[in-house]
Amino acid sequence: MNVTINEEGAKALVKLEGRLDTTNADQFMKDITPLMNGAHQEIEMDCTDMEYTSSQGLRMFLMLQKSVSARGAKLVLRNMKPHVKEVFDITGFSHIINIL
Amino acid sequence: MSIKKNFASRLSLYVLLLSASLLLVVTILATVFSATFVLNEANVRAEKVLDNTVLEIEKVITEVERAVDNVDWVVQRNVNDEQFLYTVTRELVATNPNIVGSAVAFEPYYFKNRKYFAPFTYSGDISHELHTVQLGNEHYDYPTLDWYQIPKLLGKPYWSEPYYDDGGSGQRISTYSMPLKDEEGKIYGMLTADLSLEWMSDLVTSIKTTPNSYILLIGRNGAYIAHEKKEKVLNETIFTSALEMEDTTAIRIGKNMLAGERGMIHFKNDDDKAFVVYSPLSNGWSIGLVCPYKDIYYYVNLLIIILMVLLILGLLVLFLGSRRIIRKQTSPIVEFGNAAMTIAKGNFNASIPEVKTKDEILQLRNSLDYMQRSINEYIVELKSTTASNERYESELNIGREIQMSMLPQNFPQRGDCSLYAMVQPAKEVGGDLYDFVEVGDSIFFLVGDVSGKGVPAALFMAIARAAFRFIGALGLPISEVMCRVNNCLADGNKNEMFVTMFAGRIDLKTRKMDYCNAGHNPIVVIAPDGKPTYLHAKPNLAAGLFADFPYEEEQIQLEQDTRLILYTDGVTEAEREDKSQYGEDRLLEWASKINSSVTSNAAVLDLYSHVKSFTHGADQNDDITIMSILLK
Repeated sequence: MNVTINEEGAKALVKLEGRLDTTNADQFMKDITPLMNGAHQEIEMDCTDMEYTSSQGLRMFLMLQKSVSARGAKLVLRNMKPHVKEVFDITGFSHIINIL
Repeated sequence: MSIKKNFASRLSLYVLLLSASLLLVVTILATVFSATFVLNEANVRAEKVLDNTVLEIEKVITEVERAVDNVDWVVQRNVNDEQFLYTVTRELVATNPNIVGSAVAFEPYYFKNRKYFAPFTYSGDISHELHTVQLGNEHYDYPTLDWYQIPKLLGKPYWSEPYYDDGGSGQRISTYSMPLKDEEGKIYGMLTADLSLEWMSDLVTSIKTTPNSYILLIGRNGAYIAHEKKEKVLNETIFTSALEMEDTTAIRIGKNMLAGERGMIHFKNDDDKAFVVYSPLSNGWSIGLVCPYKDIYYYVNLLIIILMVLLILGLLVLFLGSRRIIRKQTSPIVEFGNAAMTIAKGNFNASIPEVKTKDEILQLRNSLDYMQRSINEYIVELKSTTASNERYESELNIGREIQMSMLPQNFPQRGDCSLYAMVQPAKEVGGDLYDFVEVGDSIFFLVGDVSGKGVPAALFMAIARAAFRFIGALGLPISEVMCRVNNCLADGNKNEMFVTMFAGRIDLKTRKMDYCNAGHNPIVVIAPDGKPTYLHAKPNLAAGLFADFPYEEEQIQLEQDTRLILYTDGVTEAEREDKSQYGEDRLLEWASKINSSVTSNAAVLDLYSHVKSFTHGADQNDDITIMSILLK
């Protein structure tokens, strides 16, 4: 999955494109490490072109959420495709992660 | 080594052939040039020798003529002194070594009315004693002889044709006759001097420009005066020999010589080519010098042979020498070959030999060296990659083994329930599980999907399963079971692993089911009439993430011949090549076609094959888990 990060001060705008499955989960982890370790107060992820995520991907999002919460910052996922949102719903992740 | 030898030999052979061709051309040119040059030189030399010989002979002829000339007036003055006349002839012979006979022959009846009077002195053949006689008598009618008659008719001095003088010196001679004339110019006698041709012959045959060259001296009508083969003298003419030859040029030579010409002609003497230079003598004779080509070219031929031998030897040396040099120069290549072989056999640190020259061989060496280093680096990298891959693989394999060993295989054999389940693991991912326990007339079951893979996921699954079995056996409500299992898993779970689950307990007597869904896919309930629906369950959070999460359970009343299909997302998310997924609709569609008379075993396998035929051979990227529970 392609991860493009644009920074505007303390806010990070992230664009996600493509699939997130077990083959590229490690790469995704590397790509979002600057977000996990950084000092951004707000992280907004554009999921318009996110095609699919597996349970591996869910774990990644959860870990990101936890690290963001730990430093008191906010994480928002926007414009998720319906079938992808369904996965978040079924697993109950939509209660934990902010999805708009 | 043998291949190398052939290369050097082959290259040397080419060099040899090229050199040989060039040298051959050069040799041919040199030979042709030499031959022409040599022939010209021989011509020039022959002419010189001829001219010298002519001078020699002319000297003698002139001597004789002069000698006779000198005594002419003395004789004229003392023509009546018989004694004096004898003396004169003696003097002539005595004082001239070339004159072997001399005579004063008178016209018949001139001298004191004697018919014959010819005082004559000759020197003996062997003893050189002088004998004086009177020459003329009936048997020797000298006025009719050539030496008298012809000069008389011509009226001037005459050299006769050579003849054998049996009456006198006993040698082959030619007579120089000078007519004696009175005041009126009438000839009254001949003053003669005989020139020995033996001497001439000896002189002539000793003159050679080359071993096989020879001089021929011919008289006015072509008869041999002197020839190498003495028997030809007086017996043959030049035309005799000429007619024997095939080459008609010889006749032309004869004609030219008799015509008093000077020149050179090439002819062929019975397969032997030769040339003849010829020149006239003052007395009407002609002399020729024959030079066979064989002699002339003797040295040229010798030169060719020597050249050829040297050439062959030289080329041999060239061949061997160049082969040796090439071999030495290309010996690094052999060493490179050996080094490459050593490297190929696994000794990647084999040293490549150094090269002294700065040419293409050095380039080859450097390329080889670079290649070796590249291979080394590549291998190091490969080894580390392979090692880490192997570790990874083995971790996955161990995880897989743990996982599969936890799946119960002895399914319940009951009259009131048919249960069957399977997990088809994917290569990479793992983590699906199912479990079931019979507790009296209740059956307790679950299907789950662990996130992550490898050993950590397998251990996580093991904990989940163990926790479920243990807690489930306590008879607590399902929601409570879930809570406790969740807390168990959430504790110390820094990697945020989780497991989605659907757990349920069916009382087989009442056919009531308590169930709790923790983040798992909704199960399919197929009613007795065959109509399938998705069971709507509250989507609690997957287990292992948040401790103390309030799990809620639900209840449903089932009927006889109801079938439950539990599965993981390996079914609904199974992909074919174009990335389209099996999907929930297709699952429902399959479920609508399954009959309640079909055993769980068959149903599970049927769904599995349905999914597989959908994916049509594309790679399986997640575990496929299917459980069928039929209430009979």
